[in-house]
Parts: sequence; C-alpha cells; structure tokens
Amino acid sequence: MPVSGQQAARVGGGHRARLPRFVSRAAAPLILALIVSAQRATADGPVDYRRDVQPILAAHCYKCHGPDEQKSGLRLDAVSTAREGGYSGPAIVPGASKESLLVKAISGSDEDVKAMPPEGPRLSSEQIATLVRWIDAGAKAPADDRPAAGTRRKSDHWSFQPVARSPAPTVQRADRVRNPIDAFILARLERERIEPSPEADRATLVRRLFLDLVGLPPSIAQVDEFLADKRADAYEQLVERLLASPHYGERWGRHWLDLARYADSNGYTNDNPRSIWKYRDWVIDALNRDLPFDQFTIQQIAGDMLPEASLDQIVATGFHRNTMINEEGGTDPEEFRVEAVVDRVGTTGAVFLGLTLACARCHDHKFDPISQRDFYGMFALLNGADEPTVPVPTPEQSGQQAELAEGVKSAEADLRRYDQETAERRAQWEQQLVAGIAAVEWTVLDPLEATCASGAATLKNLGDRSLLAEGDRKIDEIYTVTAVAPLSRVTAVRLEVLTDDSLPRHGPGLEDNGNFVLAELTLETPAVGDAKGQTAAWQWSTATDAKGNFPVEHLIDGNSGTGWSLNVTAKRPGTDRNAILALRDGLATEGRTLVFRLKARNVRNNYLPGRFRLSLTSAEGEALRVGGPVRDAIAVPADKRTANERDLVLAEFDKVDPGRRELAGKMAAIKSDLNKLTQSIPTTLAMRERDKPRETHLLIRGEYLRDGPVVPPDVPSVLPPLSTSGEQPTRLDLARWLVAPANPLVARVTMNRFWQQYFGRGLVETSNDFGTQGTPPTHPELLDWLAGEFVARGLSMKAMHRLIVTSATYRQQSRACPELAAVDPDNRLLARQSRLRVEAEAVRDVTLATSGLLSPKVGGPSVFPPQPDGVMALTRSVREWKTSTGEDRYRRGMYTYHWRSTPHPFLKVFDAPEGSTTCTRRDRANTPLQALTLLNDEACIEAARALAVRVLAESPRADAAGRVRHAFRLCLAREPSDYERACLTELLADELADAKVARDDAMTKTIQPPMKLPESADPRQYAAWTSVARALLNLDEFMTRE
Amino acid sequence: MAEEHAALTLSRRQFFSDCGLSLGGIALAALMERDGLAAAAARAGPLAVKPPHFQPKAKAVIQLFMAGGPSQLELFDLKPKLRELSGQPIPASYTEGKRFAFIKPDAKLLGTKRQFARHGESGAELSELLPHTAAIADQIAIIRTMKTDVFNHGPAKLMLATGSPQFGRPSMGSWVLYGLGSETQDLPGFVVLKSGPRGPRSGAALWGNAFLSSVYQGVPLRNSGDPILDLATPIGVSAAEQRRTLDAIGKINRRRFEETGDDEIAARIASYEMAYRMQHSAPELIDLASETPHTLALYGAKPGEASFANNCLLARRLVERGVRFVTLFHTDWDHHGGSENLEGALEQICRETDQPAAALVMDLKRRGMLDETLVIWGGEFGRTPMGEDRGSLGRDHHIEAYTAWLAGGGVKPGQTIGQTDELGFSAADPQEQVHVHDLQATILHLLGLDHLRLTYRFQGRDFRLTDVAGEVVKRLVG
Repeated sequence: MPVSGQQAARVGGGHRARLPRFVSRAAAPLILALIVSAQRATADGPVDYRRDVQPILAAHCYKCHGPDEQKSGLRLDAVSTAREGGYSGPAIVPGASKESLLVKAISGSDEDVKAMPPEGPRLSSEQIATLVRWIDAGAKAPADDRPAAGTRRKSDHWSFQPVARSPAPTVQRADRVRNPIDAFILARLERERIEPSPEADRATLVRRLFLDLVGLPPSIAQVDEFLADKRADAYEQLVERLLASPHYGERWGRHWLDLARYADSNGYTNDNPRSIWKYRDWVIDALNRDLPFDQFTIQQIAGDMLPEASLDQIVATGFHRNTMINEEGGTDPEEFRVEAVVDRVGTTGAVFLGLTLACARCHDHKFDPISQRDFYGMFALLNGADEPTVPVPTPEQSGQQAELAEGVKSAEADLRRYDQETAERRAQWEQQLVAGIAAVEWTVLDPLEATCASGAATLKNLGDRSLLAEGDRKIDEIYTVTAVAPLSRVTAVRLEVLTDDSLPRHGPGLEDNGNFVLAELTLETPAVGDAKGQTAAWQWSTATDAKGNFPVEHLIDGNSGTGWSLNVTAKRPGTDRNAILALRDGLATEGRTLVFRLKARNVRNNYLPGRFRLSLTSAEGEALRVGGPVRDAIAVPADKRTANERDLVLAEFDKVDPGRRELAGKMAAIKSDLNKLTQSIPTTLAMRERDKPRETHLLIRGEYLRDGPVVPPDVPSVLPPLSTSGEQPTRLDLARWLVAPANPLVARVTMNRFWQQYFGRGLVETSNDFGTQGTPPTHPELLDWLAGEFVARGLSMKAMHRLIVTSATYRQQSRACPELAAVDPDNRLLARQSRLRVEAEAVRDVTLATSGLLSPKVGGPSVFPPQPDGVMALTRSVREWKTSTGEDRYRRGMYTYHWRSTPHPFLKVFDAPEGSTTCTRRDRANTPLQALTLLNDEACIEAARALAVRVLAESPRADAAGRVRHAFRLCLAREPSDYERACLTELLADELADAKVARDDAMTKTIQPPMKLPESADPRQYAAWTSVARALLNLDEFMTRE
Repeated sequence: MAEEHAALTLSRRQFFSDCGLSLGGIALAALMERDGLAAAAARAGPLAVKPPHFQPKAKAVIQLFMAGGPSQLELFDLKPKLRELSGQPIPASYTEGKRFAFIKPDAKLLGTKRQFARHGESGAELSELLPHTAAIADQIAIIRTMKTDVFNHGPAKLMLATGSPQFGRPSMGSWVLYGLGSETQDLPGFVVLKSGPRGPRSGAALWGNAFLSSVYQGVPLRNSGDPILDLATPIGVSAAEQRRTLDAIGKINRRRFEETGDDEIAARIASYEMAYRMQHSAPELIDLASETPHTLALYGAKPGEASFANNCLLARRLVERGVRFVTLFHTDWDHHGGSENLEGALEQICRETDQPAAALVMDLKRRGMLDETLVIWGGEFGRTPMGEDRGSLGRDHHIEAYTAWLAGGGVKPGQTIGQTDELGFSAADPQEQVHVHDLQATILHLLGLDHLRLTYRFQGRDFRLTDVAGEVVKRLVG
C-alpha cells in the first residue's frame, strides 16, 4: 500500500512510534515475576535448545513463524532467524529476556505488543520460564542452527500458475473464424447463444485501423485506395503498411509512455524542467524496429548493465528515471530518492507483473501472497543505481567530438613546444613588465572642492589630500571632487580607500562592518573656451581586494546597479585598499579642470566610502595597458603561480608575441568549437549501477527513518526463483527474470494491455492488478493462448498486433443493437466492437491531420503548441511557455512539453495522465470542458480555418453538396448520409446568408500560416466554411474510433 | 427539452424496428424508458446528484487555503511562557526525533510581539492582526491543535488537499463531487480560485481528480482573460453562429446516437449543452458589478481586481449557484524571515485576508446560507515556536500543532478546541490533537458522507480521502 513514512508514523501512533517500542511500565512486574520463576528453574540445570526450547516454539509458533509462513517477516525455526527478527525488530535479545519481543508476546504483558499465539492455547508459565532462562543464558544456538530449507510460497491463484496453452476450441460457426482468437470468443458466445456482429463496412475498418495502429486518420486517397483494392488480402496488406509506418511507433510508444510515467519536468513543488526526450524517442524507435519484448524490457530496466552497453541501451534506462524529484528547499534528497525507488518497485510490479507490489511497502500485502520482505527484496534489486545525466550525441556528433578533441590535443602540444622554445624571451618580457608597473609614478590629486550630492554630508580634506565623509548620508549618494589637473596628460587614475579611526571598525567604509559599495567612478573635463568637454573612457580596472559578486570591474561598467565592494570578512577591515582604473586612450588635461564623481550603490544607508584619495599618472606603455588580474598574476613568481595565473600571464604575452598568438588562437578556436558542439548535444536521464550496491533495510511500517532488518535482493517468493551468475542478484538479473519464460505474468499482462487498447477493456479488466483482488479474466483460455502465442512468435509485438487486428472479432461492427445491449451492456463477451473516444493526443492529432496542419516529424525535443494565457500562472515557479513557431506548432500531441504541475490543458481535459505514477489504463471522461476546448480553443479554431481553406482548395469546382461530401470524408472517411449532408448544407446556407448581411469580419478571421486561401476563393465562402468545419471537428464520431 | 426527448424516443423506436433483430422478451416500454436520451445521459453522467450516506448538515464547502503556513503564534495561540523564554534554545525534550525544513533543533525560541485580546461571548483569544475575524469570534470554531505529517510545502499541501503527501490522489473537492454529484447544470461543481503573489506549490495536483473520473476535477476560475479556459466564443464568431454550429453538431450527434445506441453520445450531447450554458452563466457569475456597494465594501472587493476579497465574494456567488466545493488559495504565508517576515509581510497578508474571510462568514449568515455552507480557514501547516533570523525575523515550518478555524455547515460555533503546551509546540493533551485526516473526516461527515465508506477501488485497493486514518471530531459537530 503506497503509504508514506510520515503517514505510517501516525498510523502507528505518531512520534511515539519512534521511541523504543517495548518500554511499558505495565509489563514490568510481570516480567519480574517471570524472571524470578526463571531463576528458580535454574536449579534444574542448563536449558538445552533442542531438548527444551525448540519443542515449545514448534508447538506454538511455527505455524505462522516457521518454514511455511513468516507472518510479520518473523521466522522462529532457527535461532539465527529469531535473533534477526521480523518487521518489528529482533525477537530475541540474548541475555536480556526483558527486552526480547518474544517474551513480551508470549507473556501478553505489553499493551503495545499483540499477545501470542493469537489462537490456540497460551504458553504455560513453565514454558515461558524455560524460554526466559534460555534467553537470559545467552540464547545459545546449536551448532547446526539453520532454518529448514525455505519452501517458496505457494498460491492457487490463477495468474501465478504457468501459462497453459489449450488449443482453440471448435465452434459451430467456423466460417466466422479468421484466426484462433475468434474461436475462443465464438465458443463463449455460442455457449451464451449470442450472435456475433457482422464485419464493419470498409470505410469504418480503414479508419479504425489507422486510428488504432498509427493514431492518425486516413486521407481520402488512402480510403479510396483501400476501397478499390479488391485483392482477398487487401485488409492484411493495409495492416502491413500501417505496421511499417514510423507513426506506428509513435502511437504505441505513447501507450508505453503512460506506463513509464513520462514527463518533461521533475514534479513536486519546484517542478524544474528535465531533458529525457531521448528516452521517449528510444521507445518510438524500438517499437518501429519491433525490438522483441524481452530485449525491450531488459534494456529499459538494466540496459546500462548489459555487457559493453551501447549508448542506445543506456538511453533505454530512462524508463525508471521518469520518477519525480523533489527540489523544494529543506527537503532530504535521500528521502525522496527512496520515494523514487518505491515508485520503481510499484511501477515494475504494475507494468510487468500486473501486481500491486506497493501495497506491501508498509506491511504484508493484505490480499496477495506478497510479504513486506518481498517488497524490500524488489526494492534492493532497484536500489543499487546512481542516477546520472548522460549526453546523447549522434554518431556524427561523436565523430566530430573525437576529431575536435584530437585537434585540441595537437594544438596544446604545439603550444607547449613553442613555450619551451621561447621560455627565455618570455621571462625577459615578464621582468620588464613587472619593472614597468613598479615604475609608474602617481601624482596625488589636490582637491579644490569636494561635495556630496545629498548636501547632508561633507567631505573634509584631511591635509594629506584624502577626504573624510562626515554627517548624515543618503541612499544613492554621489561624491563630486573637483581639482586642477596636475598633469598635462592622464592615462590612469588610482582610488585609495583608506582607514580612519572615526570610521566603524576603522573603515574604509561607513557601514557598521567597515564596508562600502561603490557603483561608478567617472572623470570629466568640463568644456573651457574652445576646448570641448571630455569624458574618460575606461579600459580596465584592478583592485587590491574585492568581494565575490562585487568585482572592481563594476566601477567602470557604466551600470549603476552594480558595484565594487571589499571582502571585509576574509580580509580584516581597517586596512587600506586601492583600485586602479586605466583610460582607453589617455586624456589631454593641460590646464583643465578635472571632475570626479563617485556614485554609491546603497543597498542600505551607510554603504559609502568613508575616506578616500585620488591620484593620477601619465605613464604609458605596457605597464599600464596590462590590466586587472594579470597585474596580480605577474607579481607572483613564475614557479608559484596557479594554473589560472599562468594562463593569464601567457594570454598577455600573446598580445606582444605574434607567433604564440597564432598558436593560442588556433587552440582557442578548436576548443570553442568543441565546447559549442558539446553544449548542443542533448542529454538524457539514465541509470548507472554502483560498484558497491546500497544495503537495503526493510523500513518498519514503511517509515523512512525506521530501519528494520537488512533484506537481500530477491523477487517475491510466490514467483519463480531469481538466478544470478554473480555474488548476489542484480537489476540485470531482475530484468532477465521479468521476461524469462518461467514468469507466468509478463506475457499475460502485456497481451491484456494490447487487448485493452483494441477493445476498450482488457480480458482482465483491472489491467494493473492480476492479484486476488483483480477481476478474473473473461476469457482465461484466450488470454493464455495469446500469452503463449506471444512467446512462440519471439515476443514480437508487431506480430501480436497483426494477429489481433486481423481477427474477425476485431473487425466486427461496433453498433449495439438493443437486444445485445440488454444481455451484455458492457460488451464483455465481444459480440461486437466498442466505440472508443480516442485519447487526448489522438484528439489533437486527428484534428490537425484532418485540417492538413499536422507535421509528420517523428521525435526530437518536446514542443510548445499554443495554450491559453495564464495556464502557467497557477504554480509556484511561473514557467515560460514560449509558443513554438513553424512546424513545431503543429506536432503530434505526444511531443507537447509536459510540465507535471501544469499539464497542457488540451491534453489534460481529455484525460492524458499526469505522469506522476504509472498509468495502465486511461479514463475516458466526457465533460463540458472538453466541449469548450473543441469549440473555442485557439488550436481548434486554427484547425477549423485550415480545414475550410483545404476544402475550398481541394474542391474548387464542386457545389455545396459536393464540398460537404469532401469535407465529411476528410473528417470521417465514410460517405455522409442524406440527413447528415442536409444538416451541414443547411448550416452552410445559414452562414452564407448571415455573411451577406454582416461579414466584414470574414477576413478578420486571420488565416494562420501555412494555410493560404486560394485567390479565387470568396471570403464569405471561407467564413461560412469555417463554421461547417468547426461542426465537423466537434462531432462525436470525429473523436471516436468506431 | 421535453419535446426533444419525445422526438428522440420516437426515433429510438424507429431504430429498434430497423435493427433487424427481434426484441424477444424485452419489454419495449422498459427499453425506451431505459434508453431515452435523458436517461442515457444521466446514466453516463457521473455528476448526477447522489444521496449522501446520512442526513447532511452542509451542502457546500468553501475552503480558504492559506498557502505557505500561517503563524498560529502571531494570530491565534498566545504563549506567555514563550515570550518569557524568548531568545533561549528550545529544551531538547521538545525536539527529540523531530525534523524541520530549515532550522536546527537547537534554534532559539521566539515570543510574539503581537497583542492578543479576548473577543465575543465565547472569549476567543485573537491577535491584533485579525480585527475582523475578532468580530465573528462567536461564529467560528477554532482548532489550535491541528497536526500534519510532512514539513515541506509541496507534500504538506497535497496532504491537506488530498489526504496523502504523494502525487496521485484525488483532491477533497473531487472526492466530494464523486460522493454527492453536482447541484448545478451551468457551472462546474468544484471550482478553484487563486490570489496572492504566486501559485500554490504542487499546482494542479491540489485540485486534481487523480484516479477518479476527470469530471470530478477542480476547475480553476481565472483572474484575467476568460474565467474558464476556452469559455469565450472565438473572436469573429457571432453568438448566432455559435448556436447554429452547436445545433448542427447536436443534430448529427443525435442521429448517430440513434444508430449506434451508445450512451457516450448522449453524454456528449449533454456536455455540449452544458458548455453552452456555461458560456453564459460564468461571465454573469464573475461580474461583481451587480453586487451592492454595501456588499462590496463588506468584503473590500473591487470589481475587476484580482484579490482575495473578490475571490471570497465569488465563492459566495458560486455556492449560491449550486457549486458544491470551492477552494481559494491565497499565497504566501511562508514567513521565514527576510522579505517574508513576521513584521510588515505578515501585517500585509493579514490585511489582505482578514476582512474578506470574516465578510464571507457574515455575508453567508445574513443570507441564511451559513447553515448549509461550511467555511474552512487554514494552511498546510503552522510555524515553529523557534525563530528564524534571515535579516528579519520569521519562523520555520511546524507540523506538531497549528491553528485552523471552521464556520457554518453544522459546525458548533463559538468554541476553541485544543490547547498547546506552554511553548505552543504540541497539543498539551494528545487526545486533543486534530490530525488533517480527522479534519477531512469531519468535513465529509458534515456533508453527510462517512469517510470510511467513501471509497474508490484502484490498483487493488479501496482508496479513501483519509487514507487509513481519520476520526470525526465530535466536538466540532454541533
């Protein structure tokens, strides 16, 4: 039962359940009494397990806790298993009878422990005393202590029995038998004296086959081709064509994705996007190439563990990566990893075994022979994987990657060689550069005037030409410093931020922590006489110190929203710092006034520099051209530089050394190509088995924090045993076991789902539950025959589709005569076909295909067809829905990007699953919201318009009746009846009449590309036909597989 | 409709004679009775009104879902001892074995700075932040010992909305529709309204139908654009054209129904007619301009604005029109400190919600609707007695004890249920603990549904809203 840990905790009595369970004051006196009596008995000599203990246990306990059954996971027929205990913990604590669960149970003394045995005579006080003595003496085991050879659990339930293939029964109406399926169905109908229905007409059949096998409607040409095909095997030929279509993989792939709970986001609170569409495409491709079901299964469960696994096989393991991920703040990732593994167990059970394994998470299955230990055995098999994100390059991309990597390698070698050859020259250059930097002379600016824009504070000249801020400070303060240029030319400015005793923590900032955030520093020379005003253009900046997100470059980035700040935690406050800002071209300043502005970026009031001083230089050359981190790097002795510092210096050297520049440029170009290529390669989520598997504990009552005994990996014991070639069974062993011929369930369950798709209901209606609570099969012999046939045909899925759709049973008409409806209202006996509303994606696909808009493209990243505004607004993190343009606007429904917390409303309204858990059978609701969607949704209106254009373009010379017929056949494949033709012609006439009066808006119904109204067409016709098209696209039959 | 029915029955008879099969012993009249369009639609119509398990008190529910987890310690649960020990670490005996989302178990206690006073005849103790709730103190029942199981928002919201912290369970509104059907033919039976800075975490799963039929899913009414997705007739399509198109669809569908005998077609015809009615009833519904200035002022509602006040007023209008279940989500009560703090941020959200919530109760009462309408106020959990400092003060998620209140729908008003221990950490008396499942059982009970009997078989098991727990809170039921 899928009950979470926390819930279970409550069921068990809230937090009390986390305390040691067997501390009960009430029990103490009784236990004491027992101990006293045990001590009395000591006089009788030591207790012997075989002679004294085992007979008691065998008489009273083995029935439920012995070789045949282990209720609550407990087995008492060996001392080792008794010590190991069951789901509630060890039964025996050697030397401590008081703490031993066994003693509490048999003495019935603890209100929290159920008194044992529940039936039959209670143990006598002598017997209890014997057990107490034995435990207190250390619970010694005999030398040959081991549980009797474990017999596996047995069940008489039908689905656990081997598949029994009985021959097809003989029937009276042998003429109605196209293949053995029909014999099984007919035999039952004949028993019930019910006539099967006649075969559906050919137009119905062709549309039925198209919808079922490829999920798309036939074109008129395809209908006509089939109607004209007079060969005896025309139908079978059509089936072959459809099974060979790439759209077959899409149609049946989507059914499989329901089981795989495929989605494009992580679910839960944050619902972040994920990239796993390569897995979706793998499914489509695997079905199209008819990968046998055993391989199909093994690769999805454990493709990564196959010998020399191909990338394709690794992509297949995305099956169990479709679990959700909780990224909400404050969550414990391991807790939700465990949830994901629980989901994998449940999904594996539902999809391949038709069993509700998840019921046994917290306790033994209430109905089926699945113990809680069985659940954790399966859990252990699926618990050994890491969950990597894997790039999935095409073979071409892989080739290019290898080629580029080779190119990088050889370019690196070239560079290395060059660096060795030019080492001496470079060292010289470095020396000169360092000397040049040191030789730069700074002239300290003598401020004429220094003001604060707010007027609330003053800047006081301290005599050493530094300025100290005093008074109140305002947010977004600007300091302006004016001075006469002391130099005729300025190439760089130095800003010293200085400490002062008047500042908090000695500064240099005014904030309590001694810091500041300075947004911009600008330098202007105002116009004077003929000389124009100039503004300094900065080239680079460097600083002795900066805080992570506040680098000194922010001072000169022209953005007053960013700023430079100091790292006052790593480096002590109260030390002087400076920044150097170099000009791009230098500034002629002879006789000019200089105006500096220091703009603060105040997040809070006092993040302003407290004391500062400005200096200038006119030094030229490399020493000033070299900026930022390079200056720091080059100051470090060559042999002490980090790799990053080394690279910085070398990059600087490139600027003066054309030879190296060329080589470095070449390497950078290749690296950039490689990087771009790598970025462009899609990734997917996959499984990768760990070297050392995780240890799996049974979780007591399913609670995440309550570890029970260690459980080795295994399959439920009621099913055939699991074999392994290694030390212990692995996920790969599980995968092979699932599809081994001995497994009685997998073929039945798979065939049942096929049947469900074709007839609306499985032979077993509960397609995810073949256990004792599921419905029994309506036609057990047929189910087994199909399962056997599946195996006999090499587990070819296409072979089984072929078999089912060529049966007479499938080809019947779906009309329910009242007589039939009275005796078999739900059509369980299949005396007819069933009408089935097509699935959400197919509603979209059929609509788009009919209107001519559908893109036939198979596979690729998920797309964003139009959806109403505001759909994404209802979640925690509002996601952008950037509507796809061009072809991607009209892709099949299965390619629509699936956000788990905001599924596309069109798909949701037609019952597409949410993708949170496996879905073996979709609902087919019938709601007003569906009607509103088909009537009014943008995508549907667009399709109606396109269909109108299509009809007018394809039947330019036809009259109204001829066009109605054409449109009708586009939508429904069959000919319209007179009545239907009359209804639609009447609608058309009404709309045209209406259009005569007020049809100015005809052209406002803008035609979306790629549809083009023929030039000759009358816009009024187009408007009227849009209405007729809407009516057709909303017919019940249009969205129904008849 | 009667005419239509007659016509259908007639053609139905025609269909029988066309069928080419003898009717044998089946009585024609019985078949016609059974197979008439209306009957067929009803049979395929899972929203038909169904009898409750027993005499109900409430017919409709309005759930005010305070998303994010309101601080009960600032609003409902005054703890003098907590003030006294403010700044000291919480004694380890409280936190042993407990888990928290963000803070450490040794976090420091935080006393509230809010003033509390007693109100009404019942003397309910309420914070200064809830002056309007204070005015309805005698109309509500306050539970101070709510308890839930999970301490992250997404799972906890699911817990309150669906009874399980996992995705994949039907929401409360869906269960109720499944159990009782819908009283309205013109509007969805379960409506979701949203206000606040962002959508609730877990999204559509909070009003999802999960394994129940999707006819039971909650339908979000939107604050802008069409109130219901795709409600408006497309631009360029006149009302007359829409009607003519629907008539053509209906005629052809009806003929197909006669030919195939498939009840699904009858249900589809009914769905299209209801869709058409919704096109008219929904815009009328959301048009608040028809309310009196007095009523608008009572709620603080302003037509055209996206607000909790407007949504509360809408909720009343929905229930008036037969809607069974309305959930209002208001974000964001997640006051950890920082920008979402117990200072200005809490005051702001109280201003947004206090008056409208109280107005809703008063308005329902003066219209005589409160007796049959259950109003529930509360979040997915509460907040810790320990403080959290993120520049400004807040509290972490707390699941051991928090506050919710109920009004109307048969709830015994003017009482405060449950006392917390002196630090407000847990229920002082474990017997007084009201688990989310207990609340859900009580809500169903008031609607005349036994939470043990409202089940749906899925994946081999009978599922319930209350999972495997839940007890009706007897003291709440008047």
